[in-house]
Amino acid sequence: MNASLLNPFNITYPTAVQTSLPSQASLARWDPSGRYVAAGRNDGITLIWDLETRSSVRWLEGHVKGITNIDWSRHSRYILTSSKDWNVIIWDLTSEYDPPQRLATIRFDASVTSAWFHPKNSQIMVALLTAGDAYVVDRRKKYRGRIELLEPLEDEEESNRSAMTAVRFDPSGKHIFVGTSSGTILVFNSRTKTMVAKHRIAGSGVIKVLVFAKSGRRLVTNSSDRTLRMFVVPSYPTPTPDQPYVEYDLEPTHRFSDPINRNAWHAMSFSPDGEWLAGGAVDAATHKIYIWDISNDGQFASTLDGGREPLIHVHWHPTKPSIVSTTNQGNLLIWHCPTPERWGAFAGGFEEVDENVEYQEREDEFDIEDESEIALRKMKQEEEEVDIETGVDMAGVAKVRTNGDADVDTAWAEDEDDDDLAGWKMKLVLEDDDEM
Amino acid sequence: MEFTSGISPTSPPSLPPLFDPDAKQNSGPNYKLRLILSGHTRAISSVKFSPDGSMLASSAADKLVKIWDATVGDLIKTLPGHTQGVSDVAWSSDSQLLATASDDKTVRLWSLDSDDAVKVLNGHTNFVFCVNFNPRSNLLVSGGFDETVRVWDVARGKSLKVLPAHSDPVTAVSFSHDGTLIVSCAMDGLIRIWDAESGQCLKTLVDDDNPICSHVTFSPNSKFVLVSTQDSTIRLWDYQSSRCVKTYSGHTNRTFCIPAVFSIVGGKYVVSGSEDAKIYIWDLQSRQVLQTLDGHRDTILAVAAHPTKKCIASAGMEKDLTIRLWYDDESIAAKSEDTVTTDG
Repeated sequence: MNASLLNPFNITYPTAVQTSLPSQASLARWDPSGRYVAAGRNDGITLIWDLETRSSVRWLEGHVKGITNIDWSRHSRYILTSSKDWNVIIWDLTSEYDPPQRLATIRFDASVTSAWFHPKNSQIMVALLTAGDAYVVDRRKKYRGRIELLEPLEDEEESNRSAMTAVRFDPSGKHIFVGTSSGTILVFNSRTKTMVAKHRIAGSGVIKVLVFAKSGRRLVTNSSDRTLRMFVVPSYPTPTPDQPYVEYDLEPTHRFSDPINRNAWHAMSFSPDGEWLAGGAVDAATHKIYIWDISNDGQFASTLDGGREPLIHVHWHPTKPSIVSTTNQGNLLIWHCPTPERWGAFAGGFEEVDENVEYQEREDEFDIEDESEIALRKMKQEEEEVDIETGVDMAGVAKVRTNGDADVDTAWAEDEDDDDLAGWKMKLVLEDDDEM
Repeated sequence: MEFTSGISPTSPPSLPPLFDPDAKQNSGPNYKLRLILSGHTRAISSVKFSPDGSMLASSAADKLVKIWDATVGDLIKTLPGHTQGVSDVAWSSDSQLLATASDDKTVRLWSLDSDDAVKVLNGHTNFVFCVNFNPRSNLLVSGGFDETVRVWDVARGKSLKVLPAHSDPVTAVSFSHDGTLIVSCAMDGLIRIWDAESGQCLKTLVDDDNPICSHVTFSPNSKFVLVSTQDSTIRLWDYQSSRCVKTYSGHTNRTFCIPAVFSIVGGKYVVSGSEDAKIYIWDLQSRQVLQTLDGHRDTILAVAAHPTKKCIASAGMEKDLTIRLWYDDESIAAKSEDTVTTDG
């Protein structure tokens, strides 16, 4: 709502640290509304920060070892935390208490490297284990089960199956993208769990992280060769019995690296419109976020310097030019785009201009008009109907591209709704204070 | 009590009588007095329906806040604690918390489960005049005679921001429906729109004659603000274009801060109290007075429109001291002309 009154020219990427939130965190992620940040800690606790009050509102205690990943459901009702203690916990934030209720605990037989919700239904999730295998877990009654994602291989190849090292749903939820230790990307259909494509990424080495732009058109990989590669996500044909999957090399449209320091990358994140990419550099002594301008052919735009605590994680706000970055001391830095105070806004009917404008007097500007005529004109103007109820702007709701014909897959994913409704409100927990 | 059973929300709606010559269908508001609630001993400053529609909160110069059952009119609770008169009351969106603004320079937070204030927010250096929650109810905004607007963290009861908002007492302040904007108005005649996150002023609206502003509120979609001024006029502003799109007049408002509210159940109206002891109901679009409600014996400082029912609550000053509930309900109107009086 405030967007229309703010200066539109400021909306690019953040430039300065607005606040620092001490959390002892190892990673932090915005919720889809951009109001909360969830911070996962090494002691297994996850904190929820309310950015409006800059205070922690929930304290999720359930894991006994470090948090490896956090994911929010699409309307922020559910949170998934994966941990080194072999568990994935799903929390329901409509719970009236702090700490909130655990909705489900999913136990694996190895430490969980990362886990994600299906973008359309939080009862479906994918988990990647340190052993290099990935599972789709479905908690719905009708489809309940745990299915391993397996690359179809001939018997002789079985012994040197490459380990899975990164996993992610594409934003439409139709496909699961898996990065491997041998520099390939495998694409699985979320519904059938069969592989539909296999891409070799030349010179990549181990793929550590996969990140999609919100629209689902772009994908960035972080590999062991210290380069971020950006790809245009291809469309996949419906598999046929003769050709169960397609196999071809994928050529990056852009490569991002630091040619001078040759530093590796901890994490990367797209801006909401997908026009900017933020990369968090591995650096023992500084906290640096690199910003690239995708719309300008991927040109390097700026480095954000966040001081002396090295960076370990970075995540871009879902709608605004704001970033949360995590330092190795566990502090969260909230980056924003500072807007200069517009003093002209304090005066009614006053407009600030950047340059002097030669004022053109209207022909009839100082004509004396009959008062009754003015009143009549005003009356006429007020006849116009006003709409006080509807037409609320839905800015920030990005359209997600579905890769190919997705009717069956969407219907499958939306079966048995997860009750994650828009507009729910987190129950306010009043803090006890000593004066009372 | 036989009478009240007919209006309980659980009973099926009765059909309008077939042969009632007075029954006017779709012909504008037809509010009739239903309940009179007495209890306050000094001028009543504000009445507000809870967002779930079940309760009505009232505040008064007798330092008390009262909570009433909005359907039958029983007094549910009296909240004593303020040491001076109370000027405003506001509900949280889950209808569980109340915030009150008082001349004792504090804002107090009340929970329905407890009899004492759960938080006392200190900070204002003069009378606090107006208060409102944001839609998520994690923030509170208040304004007062110290000419500031303050934003508070509800869970902790701590001040987050102090906006040096106006150069005269702040008379009204509230959030937009999505919580990103704050609108405030003051006796300096200015209406200012603020960015809730940064606290920056985004816009100032001012009428040519600069009349004292009594009250301001956002329209349900937050595209307009409804402003009452002490030149006996209510204006609807399109704040994007800084244009006054509707003017409502006919009532009397020269001295007090009388709020105007939207009523969007059953039709789109603007409702306001008046210094001639009447309630005025205008058509939102045509700006015509459609109905005036007589009955109060003094200036009406407080009006509120029910969130889901065709019901208006109003309350008067010293010579009146009643809260009246008016219903536009043909089945009831046809059945009885009686009013129920309850004492709190």
